[in-house]
Amino acid sequence: MKRSFLYLLFLTTVFFSCENSDDKVFEESADVRLNAALASYEKQLVEAPYGWNAVVYPGGGGSYGFYFKFDNKNRVTMLSDFSDAAAAKSKESSYRLSALQTPVLVFDTYSYLHVLADPDEDVNNGVRGEGLKSDFEFSIFPDSVKTDVITLVGRKNQSRLVLTKASQAQATAYANGDMAKGLAFNNIAKYQPYFKRVTLGANTYEITVNQTTRSIKLTWLNGSTPKTFTTSYYFTPAGLAFVSPLVNGSQTITGFSNITWNATTTQVGLSGGGANGTIVSAIKPISVDLAAARRWWQSPIESGGDWRSATGFHVNGVDDAFKVADLKSGESIFAFYIYQPGASSRNDLFAPIFYDGKNIFLDYGHAPATPTFTADGRAIFTDAGRYGTLPTSGPAIESAKLLYDASGFYLIQTSDETYDMVSAKDAKSWITWQ
Amino acid sequence: MKIIIKHFSYYVVAAMLFSTTLTSCKEDSIGEVDDIPGLGGIDWVKGPIDQWIKDSLVTPYNISAQYKWDQFEFGNITKNLVPPDETQVVPLLSTIKKAWTNPYVEEAGKVFYNKYSPKFFILSGSNEYNSEGSITLGTAEGGRKVILYGVNLFKIKGMTGYDPGRDSSFVKDWFLHTIHHEFGHILHQTVLYPVEYKNISKSYYQGGNWINWNDADARRDGFITAYSSSAFDEDFVEMIAMMLTEGKVGFDKLVDSIPEGTSSHGVTKAQAQAALRQKEAIIVAYYKNTWKIDFYSLQKRVRTSMNKLF
Repeated sequence: MKRSFLYLLFLTTVFFSCENSDDKVFEESADVRLNAALASYEKQLVEAPYGWNAVVYPGGGGSYGFYFKFDNKNRVTMLSDFSDAAAAKSKESSYRLSALQTPVLVFDTYSYLHVLADPDEDVNNGVRGEGLKSDFEFSIFPDSVKTDVITLVGRKNQSRLVLTKASQAQATAYANGDMAKGLAFNNIAKYQPYFKRVTLGANTYEITVNQTTRSIKLTWLNGSTPKTFTTSYYFTPAGLAFVSPLVNGSQTITGFSNITWNATTTQVGLSGGGANGTIVSAIKPISVDLAAARRWWQSPIESGGDWRSATGFHVNGVDDAFKVADLKSGESIFAFYIYQPGASSRNDLFAPIFYDGKNIFLDYGHAPATPTFTADGRAIFTDAGRYGTLPTSGPAIESAKLLYDASGFYLIQTSDETYDMVSAKDAKSWITWQ
Repeated sequence: MKIIIKHFSYYVVAAMLFSTTLTSCKEDSIGEVDDIPGLGGIDWVKGPIDQWIKDSLVTPYNISAQYKWDQFEFGNITKNLVPPDETQVVPLLSTIKKAWTNPYVEEAGKVFYNKYSPKFFILSGSNEYNSEGSITLGTAEGGRKVILYGVNLFKIKGMTGYDPGRDSSFVKDWFLHTIHHEFGHILHQTVLYPVEYKNISKSYYQGGNWINWNDADARRDGFITAYSSSAFDEDFVEMIAMMLTEGKVGFDKLVDSIPEGTSSHGVTKAQAQAALRQKEAIIVAYYKNTWKIDFYSLQKRVRTSMNKLF
């Protein structure tokens, strides 16, 4: 029994080793199929007659609008919404389709796309060595390619690139510099007051724009209940596009179009949600967070921390208007401005902090009394003494003078751990605490 | 027990022979090999830059220069880099050609240059930023491949935004210094310099601690740059790079600029200057004896070509 079983075993081995069939799951080899895939992707890119609208979502956040036109000689022509110049003047560079671990679209010489990925922080206001964590090598997956939309994923920083086939009208609009016209929206940074509003139809929205992170926040009142909506944005020939649309009752806003900049009145005009509007400035929030001032004051007391500002007050459109960053104590340089609630039982501390190369230290400063928190949500600071010997004039004196302004300040919470403290007098001065 | 094993092994042998015999009847040929994508390097439709590289570097010197992005040419794939801007490629390469290739070819001949010059130049548009805060300017691998970083920051006379104060020293200290430095390595790795060189500043080398020194401090110890003080070989090639890119006048000025007094390692001004002069003398003799090159004449050619660029 045992023996015959063994024979049987050998017999099967023999049969198997005889089998000479060469069945393949696929009809063609991997290389043939890969070459075919690369060729078909390139064909699709090149044969879009009016090029491609593109949006890049860098790994570091935000969204940026592009226009690509590929030719069959490894050349690509681009526009980008990153700057006025890049939106108006096209730049030619090279691309290729490559077989790495997956088929990959590589933009292989410098273009507007690389501006986002450049590790030189001077180029894109990003992080040194990382830039905005964007990509220029994008993996193509089989499900990423559809007739009119191609969705690609960056190989290094996992940014996303979404290509949408452009229409003839869009191609003409790009050529006419329409994307550059939409960038007039960036003039919103020239408004001196902190608060800006636009009325579109029946709704008034407070607009808060962060041009560095490409995010826009809209705040409005639903009856007396404040509502907020935040989205990334990018530019297209039609204007400014929201990554996700705002649906507010019967009004849906997908972005802003007809963007204009009036240099005389220094106002941005736009259309959105089926209505036209002009962005106007305001001296107070559309909805005051009544508890914010006290919350701001209380949180360092509970956590044992303090509030710091690297640049001091922004006044009338000028960052660090009092030049606190130039302060020195002997040889020691300025480190940051501090607000320490409850520095003693009677008073707080508002002072420049210096750095001597090893440690940070306090030389002199103001001692505001515990602020008065008004019923309408302001904090009012008053003089209650001083620390050390104050200079007779200069940045520290100017900063304290503004702090002690009788109108007080609104505290705007901008993230879990950051507040903007905005002058209630005219909203043209503020300091960012973190 | 023993018997069973014996029998068993007979069967195994028999079976093995049997199956071997049968399988060997199956004949495999390599057959047709498909076109493997990317085999033989990246491929693209050639343009004017490619023609310039072919005419100016590949044909005369068998040197290739890759400006199109290929991640795997760069050693550390975790770094964020960007490819060069096409408008930068020819100005950069022609500068290197003028201030490095031509002087060596004129002084030592094409045979020497083609034999020892690195053959692959890889260009990165941006710098490589390192975690401890330093920046990589260039790297060389095995005397064959040189990677140059920061190509998009390169500017010479005639390019938009050229600022002589900033850019001339940038090009000198960055690109030309790097290429002369790396070529120095190739020379001494081919024929080592006289061993006396290592004795001149023997007790003052810093190793990895060089990063905490600045050039002025290093000069007071008898090193031409801070990086010189890291190792014998680096000292040797830093001397070559500094002497060539600064020229005789510039180099003398650096030696003369060493201040009075003693360095923190107890080296006097006279000792530091003497050390630099001894190193200079050994390098000049090494070029003469080993490579039949008149170093001072080479130095003059490099400087003359550089003066035309800035």
